[in-house]
Parts: sequence; C-alpha cells; structure tokens
Amino acid sequence: MNANRRHIASLAWQAGTIVLLLTVWQWAALTYPAPYLPALENIATGFLRLWHGDLLFSAIVPSMTRLAIGFVIAVVVGSVAGLTLGYLRNLDPWVRPVFEYLRFIPAVAILPAALLLFGPTDTMRIFVIAFGSVFPVLLAATDGARRVEPLLLEVARVERLSIPERLFRVILPASLPSIFAGVRIALSIALVMMVISELIAADNGLGFYILRNQRLFQTANVYAGVLAIGTIGLALTLALLAVEKRVLAWHRGWRGLPGADG
Amino acid sequence: MGAAMSEPILVMNKVGKAYSAAVPILRDVSFSQAPGEFVAVVGPSGCGKTTMLRCIAALMQPDQGEVLHLGQQFGDPPPWLSIVFQDYNRSLFPWLSVRQNVGFGLRKIDRRERDERVEQALSAVNLTHAADLYPWQLSGGMQQRCALARSIVVRPQLLLLDEPFASVDAQTRIDLQDMVMDICKKMSLSTLLVTHDIDEAVFMADKVVVLSTRPAQVVEQIEIDLPHPRDQLTTKESPEFLRLRHRVYTLVRHQAQKSAAAHTEREDQ
Repeated sequence: MNANRRHIASLAWQAGTIVLLLTVWQWAALTYPAPYLPALENIATGFLRLWHGDLLFSAIVPSMTRLAIGFVIAVVVGSVAGLTLGYLRNLDPWVRPVFEYLRFIPAVAILPAALLLFGPTDTMRIFVIAFGSVFPVLLAATDGARRVEPLLLEVARVERLSIPERLFRVILPASLPSIFAGVRIALSIALVMMVISELIAADNGLGFYILRNQRLFQTANVYAGVLAIGTIGLALTLALLAVEKRVLAWHRGWRGLPGADG
Repeated sequence: MGAAMSEPILVMNKVGKAYSAAVPILRDVSFSQAPGEFVAVVGPSGCGKTTMLRCIAALMQPDQGEVLHLGQQFGDPPPWLSIVFQDYNRSLFPWLSVRQNVGFGLRKIDRRERDERVEQALSAVNLTHAADLYPWQLSGGMQQRCALARSIVVRPQLLLLDEPFASVDAQTRIDLQDMVMDICKKMSLSTLLVTHDIDEAVFMADKVVVLSTRPAQVVEQIEIDLPHPRDQLTTKESPEFLRLRHRVYTLVRHQAQKSAAAHTEREDQ
C-alpha cells in the first residue's frame, strides 16, 4: 500500500519535471524568439514527420540499418573472440597488450582513417560503429569466460564435451551475465558512432538530417532529429533489457539465493 | 562375487603425485577394484584424497605409477566413468533446469530415448516432481540427488563419489547413503567413495582402503563382509560392524596422531 503510493508519487514527480522543462522552453521560445529556440509545436511537427514517408527512408531507416549491422557484428565478434581468449588462457600474454592498447583509442579517432580506407560508404560507417562498440563486449566476454566455475569445466571434461561444445554449452551461458553488461555499454557507444559517422561525407541518415537542417537554419528540425536519436536509444535499451530479463532469468534467481537451503 | 576371475575395473599401481618436489601428495598408492565392487577410501583430512580421485578420473595425470581403467591408461576421463562432486551448488549448471542438468551428458542419442532415460534417472533419485525447477531452488540433499541422477543417466561402469554427503545434514546424509547403495546394487555399478566419515565407509563399502597422512600411502585394505542389504539400524548394531569400525577408526586415528606429532615437531625446530 505504502510502496504503491510512493511509486505513484515518484511517477508524478518525474512527469512534473518533464512538464516543467517543456513549459520553461516554450515560455522562453515565445518570449525571446530566436532561430536557436524554436517553439515546441514546430519541433513536434518535425519529429513526427521523421517517422513516415520520405524522411523515414532517408533518415531513420539508413541509420537504423547501419546501427543494427555494426552493433550485431560487434556483439558477435566481441563475444566469440572474447570467450575464446578467456578460455584459451595461453593466448593471453600475446593478445592482451594489443587489446588493452586498442581500447584506449577513442573510436572517433579512427574515423578519418576509416574514411581513407573505405571511402564515404556504408561499409565505412558500419566499420566505425562496430569498431567503437566491440571492445566493451570483448572485454566483458573475456572476463566472463575466465571466471567460469572450474568445477563446471571438469564436469564438461567428464562428460567428454568437445572444445566447441564446451564453448557453447558451458562457457557461453556462464558468461552471459557478463556479456550482457558489456553489450549495454556497447549499445550506447554504437549510437554515438552512428551519429558521428553520418556527419562526414554522408547523404542520408539521422546525422546527415541534423547537419543539413542546421545548415538550412531549420532549427526545429535539428532538435527533432536529436530527439529522434534519444528516442531510438531509449527504445533499444528497453528492448535489450527485456531480452536480458528473459535470457538471464536464472541468473537473478540464482544470485538472489546463494546456496539456497530449504 | 566372482570378481577374482574378471579384469579389475580400476588398478592403482604405485601412483605418486607431487605439486612440487617439496610437497608430495601421493606416494606409491596401490589398490585395485573388482567390477561391481564398492570401495571406500578413508584417511585423515587433508591427506590427498581429492588429488587421488582427480588422478583416478584422469582429470590429472600422476607423476609416477599408473592408473589403469580396464587395463588401459587414459589422458581424459574414460567414457564409462562418472563423478559426483562434493560441492553440489558449484557442480550443477545454474542456467539449466533439473531435467536439463540430468540430460546434460546424453548427446548424440535419439531424443525419445534421451527423455526416457532422464525420466528414469529422475525417478530413481525421487526428483520427478522437481524436474522443471532450477537446481538453486532445491535443498542441498535434492541438489545432490540431481547430481547423482546426472551421473547415472549415462549408465557408467565406474562411479566416483567425492565426499558427496559431506555438505548435507545428518538425516539427509542417511537417506542419500541408502539411495546410493540401492542404486549401485541395482545397476551393479563399481563405486569408489572418497570420504572422511568412517561409519559411512564401513557401512556402505565392500572394501575400505585406509590412507596415511601426507604423502598418502595405503596403510591397509579391509574387506567388509557385512551381509547385504544393509540397514542403518541392524547393520550398524551388529558386532561385526562394530569390530570393523573399531579397526578402521584405530588406523585412521593413529595416522591423525602421527600427523599432529609431525606438526609439533616442525614447530619445535
């Protein structure tokens, strides 16, 4: 009862904060008309226009496609490579210094090089997205694989599992909680890299849409694009959390009752 | 038993193992196990029982001597061998249900047959009602029964038990002992039980192997010719049981005292 009331109160506060921010913005826009302060209704119109018709296919769809491909490559490559490295510890001294160094390179810094390498193409943008977001997954997977309960690996040996079977039936599921933590970080990096890669030599995508409207002084559309990116980020994160909740249901229960007796 | 005629399922021939030259764990450990025989290995705590079990399972290779399974040496666990570990909450897969844990070792066989064998194993350990729960939702004794079912579902010939009842309460331990003895007899399994519980060893085994303190050597092998089926009350009250228990207890206590004396000596120096 009490918890319920507190929940409603907290929701009210959150909604109140948002309404307050919007009110302040609208008041400022009406009181001090300026190009960089468009009225809310103009932003809303721009925002809604993005999700259908031409703009859907020239802004949202190209961006989402690149993001999806780059992100999936990062998750797959990062997981497989990370699990293998974590499991085959002998490789560690050879490979570790390289990764430890590479992960300190801000992915943005690779952009000019990627542009030289691939030209102003989708491949370049996908590469940049994947490069930026692969490291959190890779490191999380390596860490997860290294911390698999040794007794479970012995059970796998007694049951005569081959090395691929050990990877997919023991090491992967045991590392999933760690991998998901890496994937969540990777998603936010992938989103950043998507926008940045579309600010250079692009002719479609949300990044390009924002940049072009800025040059045309269509500020309402600029903010509409920014809001669209935020909305996509939020939606993808919620989707990821929903998947995680399903896949890792065992993990929350297991951690909730360590050595449950009763 | 007619075991003398057939080839031993397991032969330990002067097995030695050391983690370093200064820390020998096993020295010249020799004994053999006939098919269908229930062997219990006891010894003072910390004497190297678990190291020995890992050598027997071929999870570890001995430095000296040989471990022979039906006359052969193995670099990996032989296919007819199964293990139940002491730590049930670390040895069961937390992301698999009880049913999936039990079926884990059954691959490359027809799905219908697999399901049938899993059901059989579950009912043998009396876990059918909990098949769809996760292991961490079960009590300790139930988790160990799940591990036992996972071990017998592959129809092993040699079952290794590494202190399987050490982490459960007394009543559960007794129930598990009866269940294991029953299953092993029904499946005519060769069973090797590593334990520090002398009553348990004498009660369950056909032969008790007593180990010395570190480095572990075989002090004595004692045939336990108590009649089957054994009963927690009548067997344990029989004069023969008490005589055997007395003998094993004396041997183990003697080893423990030697170990304590050696410690004191070292501290005196």
